[in-house]
Amino acid sequence: MREKRMSRSISMVWRSSLLLLVLMFGMKATAQEETPQPTPYEPVSIEEPQMSFFQGFTLSADLLGVGQWLLTDYGTLEAGLRLNLKNTYFPVAELGMAHCDVYEPNTDITYKTDAPYLRVGFDMNLLKDKFQDNRLFVGLRYGFATYNFDIAGPAIVDPVWGGSEPFNKKGISATSHWLELALGVQVKIWKNFHMGWSIRYKRELSTSKNNYAKPYYIPGYGTTTNSSCWGGAYHLIFDLNWGKKKRGSIKLQTPPDVKPADAEAVESEDAETQETQSTPNNSNTQSTSNNPITPIK
Amino acid sequence: MIKKYKHRSWHIVLSPLYMGLCTWVFVLVAWSCSSSNCPLESKVTCNYAFYDSEGNAVTYADPITVTTLLPGTKTVYVYRKLGYITETLDHRDESLIEDGYTESVSEVRRDTVLINRLSSAALLKVPMSYYNATDTLVFAYESLSARDTIYIHHDSYPYVELPECGTHRFHRLKDIRCSNTAAIDHVEIVNKTVNYEGKENVKIYFNGVAE
Repeated sequence: MREKRMSRSISMVWRSSLLLLVLMFGMKATAQEETPQPTPYEPVSIEEPQMSFFQGFTLSADLLGVGQWLLTDYGTLEAGLRLNLKNTYFPVAELGMAHCDVYEPNTDITYKTDAPYLRVGFDMNLLKDKFQDNRLFVGLRYGFATYNFDIAGPAIVDPVWGGSEPFNKKGISATSHWLELALGVQVKIWKNFHMGWSIRYKRELSTSKNNYAKPYYIPGYGTTTNSSCWGGAYHLIFDLNWGKKKRGSIKLQTPPDVKPADAEAVESEDAETQETQSTPNNSNTQSTSNNPITPIK
Repeated sequence: MIKKYKHRSWHIVLSPLYMGLCTWVFVLVAWSCSSSNCPLESKVTCNYAFYDSEGNAVTYADPITVTTLLPGTKTVYVYRKLGYITETLDHRDESLIEDGYTESVSEVRRDTVLINRLSSAALLKVPMSYYNATDTLVFAYESLSARDTIYIHHDSYPYVELPECGTHRFHRLKDIRCSNTAAIDHVEIVNKTVNYEGKENVKIYFNGVAE
């Protein structure tokens, strides 16, 4: 009798544990089926702006030099041609004609020169947005001028041995080389017209020596009171942008109607609830009621 | 993240008004900073440095007087009397004749003193003629009766550093020689360009060696 009880209780434990196992596996399987899958991340992609390498030419004229020519003893007429590469790099050549006619009343000395000069170099646009029409740039120039100048002064009297001789030398030839560092800005004024100023630090590399005078004014460089000097330019610029830059469109790639995983679970549960309500004797009612996912309300 | 191209600060910096203002400030500053750079030492001299016969730089203790010959001649009156020092004057002196001196009149080259009794010097700074091809320098020593004569052949040319600094006369040495060697052994050119930079131009080697 006792043995029978024992065997009954063992079999009951065995059955109940088996049932528990079956229930657990069943619940796990249901949970696996019902777990919402993570929505793959779809980043918003920005289509890179497209800009052709060659952006055209830029023609410029220096207004400050013209103003100096008209108002002071020296000035320049200068035109520049620049290539526009990706609106970032600007190889540049500047050709000008300089004029200087200085008379110093204290010493009665006159210095005259009219000569061309050439500068070559490049500018680099520092602004991040290369598509905008304004520019902030730094640049480097190499300048070169070969020129003649006239210098005349009063007769010099020898204080010891005596005698005097007029001092009037014409056509003294000289050649000068110099470097310039430029920093400037340019803004769009109207359509393809820009205006801009730049300040320039100039350093004289060499000037050929002659017997009569150190050149007082080097065309394109300026006065030679120091081996370095500051200069400036105020440019009127015309852009010939036939390879016109093109700003790339920003393409917002929105993900397909993806809803949050919880919301999906809520939706499915709602649907199932409705289905259950419509068919109360549905065999799946028990399994859905045991859904471990709790909707957020 | 969408990157927006906004450069509001640059719009201000790059505005034409701002640019114009900056330009005028720059022009005013540039004009206000102009300064004169004329050389501080503007006297053009030929610089003679003293050396002993072995080439050591020395100072010469005996007072030296340097005279140069000028273009043209002048009349000199020489008074001599036995047992007395000969007097050379550029004007007539009747009192010397009354004292028994004999007078002789002659025409000689004009001259002038450039350096007067310079003693214990290591360097002589002597001006050069602007328009003569040759300068003649006569070195007279206080302790020596004999004199040295140096002839310098040179070119001269006007030079303007800057118009506000005026005109200077520079020289280029071509040749130098020395005669009547009383104290000087020989001379040589070390720097042909004579200007206001103060560089040594000529080396004068005296007889003897410094101890």
